[in-house]
Amino acid sequence: MSDRLPSRAARLRAWLEERVPVAPLLALAREKRVPLHRHTIWYYLGGMTLFLFGIQVATGILLLLYYRPSANEAFESVQFIMTKVPFGWLIRSIHSWSANLLVFVAFAHMFSVFFLKAYRRPREITWFSGVLLLGLMMAFGFSGYLLPWNTLAFFATQVGTEVAGALPVVGHFALRLLRGGDQVTGGTLTRFYGFHVAVLPAIATALVGLHLVLVQQHGMSVPPGVASSSKERGEPGRTMPFLPNFLLRDLIGWCAALGALAALAALFPWELGAKADPFAPAPAGIRPEWYFCWTFQTLKILPGHILGIEGEILGILAIGAGGLLWLLVPFIDRTPAGGNGGATSRLLTLAGWVVLAYMTVMTLWVYVVPGGP
Amino acid sequence: MKPLVLLAAILFIVSGVAAAAEPPRPPSGPKPLETSCVQCHAQMDGELLEPTKHTGDDIHFLKGLSCHDCHGGNPLAGTDGDPEAAHDVSKGWTGKPARRQIPGFCAKCHADAVYMKRFDPHARVDQLSEYRTSVHGKKNAEGDERAAVCVDCHGVHGIRAVGDPRSSVYPTNVANTCASCHAKPEVMGRYFIPTTQFAEYKRSVHANALYAKGDLSAPTCNDCHGSHGAVPPGVENVASVCGSCHSREATLFRETEAKSKLDLSACIQCMVCHSNHAVLAPTDAMLGVGPVSTCTGCHAEGEPEYDAAAKMSDGLTRLVRIEADARQLLDRAAKAGVEVGPDLFALQKASDQIVEARVLAHGFDLDRFLAATNEGVKAAETGIDSGHRAFAELRYRRVGLALSLIVLVVVIASLALKIRQVETPDTEPPG
Repeated sequence: MSDRLPSRAARLRAWLEERVPVAPLLALAREKRVPLHRHTIWYYLGGMTLFLFGIQVATGILLLLYYRPSANEAFESVQFIMTKVPFGWLIRSIHSWSANLLVFVAFAHMFSVFFLKAYRRPREITWFSGVLLLGLMMAFGFSGYLLPWNTLAFFATQVGTEVAGALPVVGHFALRLLRGGDQVTGGTLTRFYGFHVAVLPAIATALVGLHLVLVQQHGMSVPPGVASSSKERGEPGRTMPFLPNFLLRDLIGWCAALGALAALAALFPWELGAKADPFAPAPAGIRPEWYFCWTFQTLKILPGHILGIEGEILGILAIGAGGLLWLLVPFIDRTPAGGNGGATSRLLTLAGWVVLAYMTVMTLWVYVVPGGP
Repeated sequence: MKPLVLLAAILFIVSGVAAAAEPPRPPSGPKPLETSCVQCHAQMDGELLEPTKHTGDDIHFLKGLSCHDCHGGNPLAGTDGDPEAAHDVSKGWTGKPARRQIPGFCAKCHADAVYMKRFDPHARVDQLSEYRTSVHGKKNAEGDERAAVCVDCHGVHGIRAVGDPRSSVYPTNVANTCASCHAKPEVMGRYFIPTTQFAEYKRSVHANALYAKGDLSAPTCNDCHGSHGAVPPGVENVASVCGSCHSREATLFRETEAKSKLDLSACIQCMVCHSNHAVLAPTDAMLGVGPVSTCTGCHAEGEPEYDAAAKMSDGLTRLVRIEADARQLLDRAAKAGVEVGPDLFALQKASDQIVEARVLAHGFDLDRFLAATNEGVKAAETGIDSGHRAFAELRYRRVGLALSLIVLVVVIASLALKIRQVETPDTEPPG
């Protein structure tokens, strides 16, 4: 019996290989190498983002089994998940904590790519897809925040959609599109649910696929400093195999992330709060999720009117224009990958630090001075 | 012919009386500021100037009425300084009415339903008839010039709508308006009426609700005494007055009366325990046999009512304590991260029973009272069980977390060992 088993397994592998040829992919993975230098640690952020995205998909699917997307049942169904469904509290808490960690890691990944100049030719599309994916993750966060239909979520969504409504020309249309009417109602909840579990996942899946294919296609970018010193020494840079060396390290990071998520979920379970009451006054200290706080604070500190234009509109336009410039960074810094770049590249690095500092200060401002300016 | 003459004379007199009582026509003619009344009086001093100062805030002026609509006369007499032309008696000039005539003067319009509906379909028109039943109205009818008339509460000119917060009869101003006479010993002394009501009321739970909490439905003077038909409620109807808001307490009180076939109105009425103007916030200590109990004021030790009061107090105290314990436990569990929303909702039953028991105390029915407190205790004990379960769940989660972390540390250590194994000099591929 025992000597027949391997042959059976071998036959099964051969049968599968004939129909689903994975050997070439495995060969490709074995050939794949990752540059080894003092900045290699930043390469793990991409894998970490993907891991957390996987956690979101898995926990999200489990939550879907019990969640009911209506104003009358949403809060109660989440309460049911947290109190009656075995490990429901854990799944929901991990989903919420992981969402926040995902956005944080995605931001860190984007800034590391920016400062290591990994967006340069020929990785412009990789950069675009990455920035768009970060935007999508924030949209996931915004739409998911409303789904428990609690007081904070209700009023934060009201404020958030009002920002979209303040856009010139398309504001009213955008507001109605998001809310499904003029007010935040059960219709908005159903709509956000649709965005959260169908529209955004479909787009995210396509973009993640594109992003991964391009990363495999172009390989890991070597930072300009590392590339130039290798060039000076006249020897190729050090590398390590992706399989298994890099993947094993990735796995250590993912296990650590899983442990952190478990600890956060067990020690600081995500609160449900009180059910939304559209007729109740907005509670004091309403603020959006932390990753929107810098925009929230920016709009808050702007004067009512600047040069005759409404301050809020000007702020939204400025943030929009800044986002567009950020997206177009590869076309501003046209130095090829590995090049040292000129004044423009150095100016961009400086601008990146300014943006990062601004976002950090504004976010901290919201938390340190809750009453605002 | 004589009967016909007499009939004609009677008809003439009746029609004359009817004409005199007839309210003015709806606002017509010159606008208030264009009348000769305003134009002349605006150039005068003192009390003759006073009425013209209120053309912007007086409800009558704002509704389009002018001086002549109340006082008669000719508003088109011009401004040539001829008061005789303006104060034309043939055009109904009445001048300033005497205090005794004021209620009837205002009632020309305010008692006319057809006329008042032109301004407000919900306007009440019973003020004069109500007033006639009041102490004020009776004194006025007796010829007492000092008895309050319409203008003493509402003002003369510059009368604002009742719903205007600046009105002297707006809920938050009523007590001050009444106190402008009733808190003055020199005014009330001649009627032998005490003047402490206002000071007592200001300390009451009702005043606190009205002024501190801004609850406009909280009672002020007129809610108990009536507005135009103001009378002090007699002993026999205090419960009815209080019961108009505290209806369940009043019903229980009446049920006790019916059941015991006793007339309790003469001995125990609301104010015996709660006072009248100085109604303080009731406390649970008022029930029972403690030092601040109101029961012991009438019932001595050894009486069955004394024992009943002690048992009621014990039942309520126990319910309040267990409910507080359960709430504290569940709140702690919630702060620790366990979702206890449904348990807190279930605990509301115990809180409701506390309220129920406090109300049932007015029924003096020990069995019914203890049934309510026992039901509340049962709900509170369920809450305590839920709290203990929540903390057990919390311990289970922490143990689970510790085990999971141990497994993860083992996995991480294995992965690290595996990395060391694959990266030995023999196996590590050249860079």
